[in-house]
Amino acid sequence: MKLLRLEFKKLIHQRRSYVGWVGIAAVPVIMAAALSLSSHKPNPAEGGPDVFLALASGNGMYVAVAAIAILTIFLLPLLASMAGSWPIAGEAESATLKTWLFRPVTRGGVLLSKWVVAIVYLAIALGLVAAAAYTAGAIAFGLHAPALLSGGTVTVAHGLWLTLLAYLFVLAGAICVLSLATLLSTLTNSSLTATIGALVIVIVLNVLGSFSFFDFLKPYVFTSRLEAWQGLFSSPIDWTPITHGLVAFTLTSAVLTIGAWIVFRRRDVLA
Amino acid sequence: MSAVSPGAEQGGAAPAPPVVLATHQLTKRFGDVLAVDHLDLTVRRGDVFGFLGPNGAGKTTTIRMMVGLVFPTEGYAQILDHRLPHDRVAALKHVGGFVEVPAFYGNMSGRENLRMLGELSDDGSDARVDEVLDMVGLRERADSKVGEYSHGMNQRLGIAQALIHKPEVVILDEPTNGLDPQGMKDVRDLMRGLGAAGTTVFLSSHLLHEVEQVCNRALIINKGRVVVEGPVSELRPEHSAVKVLTRDQTRARQLLGALVGSGNVSDDEEYLVVDGVDGQVPDLIEQLVREGVKIEAVVPAREQGLEDYFLGLTQSSDVDRGRSASV
Repeated sequence: MKLLRLEFKKLIHQRRSYVGWVGIAAVPVIMAAALSLSSHKPNPAEGGPDVFLALASGNGMYVAVAAIAILTIFLLPLLASMAGSWPIAGEAESATLKTWLFRPVTRGGVLLSKWVVAIVYLAIALGLVAAAAYTAGAIAFGLHAPALLSGGTVTVAHGLWLTLLAYLFVLAGAICVLSLATLLSTLTNSSLTATIGALVIVIVLNVLGSFSFFDFLKPYVFTSRLEAWQGLFSSPIDWTPITHGLVAFTLTSAVLTIGAWIVFRRRDVLA
Repeated sequence: MSAVSPGAEQGGAAPAPPVVLATHQLTKRFGDVLAVDHLDLTVRRGDVFGFLGPNGAGKTTTIRMMVGLVFPTEGYAQILDHRLPHDRVAALKHVGGFVEVPAFYGNMSGRENLRMLGELSDDGSDARVDEVLDMVGLRERADSKVGEYSHGMNQRLGIAQALIHKPEVVILDEPTNGLDPQGMKDVRDLMRGLGAAGTTVFLSSHLLHEVEQVCNRALIINKGRVVVEGPVSELRPEHSAVKVLTRDQTRARQLLGALVGSGNVSDDEEYLVVDGVDGQVPDLIEQLVREGVKIEAVVPAREQGLEDYFLGLTQSSDVDRGRSASV
């Protein structure tokens, strides 16, 4: 607990933490402003985020949902890569890793506390996105009972509940990226290398996912499951892709994080 | 090679103080480079131990292995009864210090850094933080962000964090690096004070005179190996050369050349430098006087740089082996 608290203290003392939070929370605000000011309406027939953008342009409830549809494409993986890379490689870069490990702390404890605090960082980021989205959405469009993709509407409370589930699912997906970055950050002394490495891998996996030739890989690759939360907004909900996605995320994160621990517990700290 | 001579300087039957820090055949290989080569050293309670060597001698790698930052290829380090790297956490409770330039969280104040690092070692109380700030003379700037500190202040903060949990052993890597003369004096006084109070100090340095001023024992390392270990008083190279200035240098050169061999007499500006004079200096002077040569000055030619000294020690390594074994 001491390690967690101190890691969190370090996190909130870093300016870049706030840059990430402010940046990501600005997205739903910009979205809501653009949707309400522009006469052009997104076409739901184009699929992807546009489905939710179209819904958001009439109902502030959907701004939060459209926001994650857009954020999961790039900004969230970026933030997850950064959050996963700072703790080890970032501290190796500033040489504070040796200061920290000069103390009677276990390497496993250090790694785990950093990983958990990075997750907390992402959770806060998503919380800020939701808060900004509902605020901006309410101002721009008002909060109404949301319509589902499959037709019909649910209550505002039910809509909030579905959105919370979607956010948790997206967070679980982002933890995979974060764990990947954490593993890379134990292999390099440059946080930028780890960040970019993790992003490149995520992008390459996405590219592979867009070719049907690689379909046989899909069940094994977490990136192919990042959009499964969209099924929450149909009725009845098909839980299979969602639970499969969560299982895949859990396994991926666990393997990557254990890998990070295996590297880090025996790594020479030379920086 | 048996460079370790536990308790050699202890007179009589007094038992040697317990070992608080040691390395046993400690070895680190980076690829083809043997950074530390079967290093044995023993530091006992209350020692202010100098760890001397030129840059790149393996000092920092040794320290990193002593505190579990780097894993040895062979051998192990020992702090009190704890072996590293296996028993790292238990060992590190008793150690404070830093490796190379102390590094801190620049967006936090010195005080916050101290509190946090102290807490990791179970003493981050405000009272103790103030105490160590006073010890290093950093109280006034304690609430400024470390990112705004000068190099000297950063160095002082490094010493403060080393002491915060009252460790039994303090390992300091070039602590006076980049300090002004007053700062150097303060830090050296502090190290002496720690030793006097029973804290064991392990001081890594490339400054021979610093080690002479502060330490009671020392070890010289070069290319990852022990060159010589022993009481500090025995570290200096013996003065095997003197510089001689007389009214008649030509005549003096002839006489000295006849006594020590003309190959051992050379020039240094207006002086004659006479090598290979171990223990013969009184005889040489007497001889010159007897021959009527008026002597202006005879001075030890000891202003030899430490780098030269290391060079000399490592070049004549056979001699040094004999020497280190006998210390």
